[in-house]
Amino acid sequence: MSASVLKSAGAVRVNASRRAILRPQIGVNAVRPIHSSIPKSAQVPDNEVPSSTTSASVPITTLAKQGSNQMSLETPRNGMEYVLSTVDKVVNWARQGSMWPMTFGLACCAVEMMHMATSRYDQDRIGVVFRASPRQADIMIVAGTLTNKMAPALRKVYDQMPEPRWVISMGSCANGGGYYHYSYSVVRGCDRIVPVDIYVPGCPPTSEALLYGMLQLQRKMRRSRNSVLWYRK
Amino acid sequence: MVSIGRYIRNIQRSGVKKWIRDMWYIGDAKYGKCVGQDQFGNKYYENLNPEDELPGRHRWVDYSQHNYHASQVPPEWHSWLHHIRNKPPPEDTVMQNLSPPWKGAWVENLTGTRGAYKSYNTAAAKINPWEPKAAPRNSA
Repeated sequence: MSASVLKSAGAVRVNASRRAILRPQIGVNAVRPIHSSIPKSAQVPDNEVPSSTTSASVPITTLAKQGSNQMSLETPRNGMEYVLSTVDKVVNWARQGSMWPMTFGLACCAVEMMHMATSRYDQDRIGVVFRASPRQADIMIVAGTLTNKMAPALRKVYDQMPEPRWVISMGSCANGGGYYHYSYSVVRGCDRIVPVDIYVPGCPPTSEALLYGMLQLQRKMRRSRNSVLWYRK
Repeated sequence: MVSIGRYIRNIQRSGVKKWIRDMWYIGDAKYGKCVGQDQFGNKYYENLNPEDELPGRHRWVDYSQHNYHASQVPPEWHSWLHHIRNKPPPEDTVMQNLSPPWKGAWVENLTGTRGAYKSYNTAAAKINPWEPKAAPRNSA
């Protein structure tokens, strides 16, 4: 159906977006919104705390960090802390550049995890290499339903990993039981067995989502200020 | 195509200052037309010349924040960056007219900060702190 057909058929009901496309973009039509409710931008804000900012110099991340312990750790108080926080940044850079996940593929999520390794999403470009041995890995990706029978094995593998170690819980089954939440044989979330750093939602999450989770874990690694924390204690 | 000639040409065209910034944040000497800037100060570039950029690398973003990540791109520019829309948002009159009035301001992913999303629970807590209640002693 071409645009001219739609335009001529006045009696035919066309949806609002289609009508807006057909409307000439001049005069009153160019600025008239297609919705009748008050625009969000015109509404009076009811709270004083800003939930968003468009300032490039003071971005929302800076606002969100104000008054937090993390902000205090990132602000050096003396020369020693300045040196130590720089050391921390170098260590963080080294850690985030080569994240080696231990693959704990349990169910269909594991297929998406494999796709993250293949050429389209290509985890190698951010230094993520799968290791089959827990002794060589720093991250464990729990991909899939964790059953009661598997739980001791998961804990054993986690205990075998060297410090520092992180855990990514992938998919709704690993996050909180998911579809099998009410099953008699399934652990309701792998965070009952191991401490989890990143939860990737989805059933299963796309490999893009898992890669985004890896990037969020990089952010988490960048935030760590272990030597400053040790020095302050 | 990627070549040493292109690399040197891009340094000459974009300038040394921009080249250092590009190498720091993008990892390549890029040169292109600045198509626009979003409300957060991220700059968007395009170079359609196949001699300069491979198809697929011809649209890119230069983030304004040092700690950059993909959710800092607002949805309008995301659609341009990923070829969902052909024209950039300032020129895209169709998208401007279709923009719903109830659309809120874009906020990037604030996980790990105090602005992080926290879900709430309506069920009663199973574990409660101990509140000792001592009966008053008899004075006898």
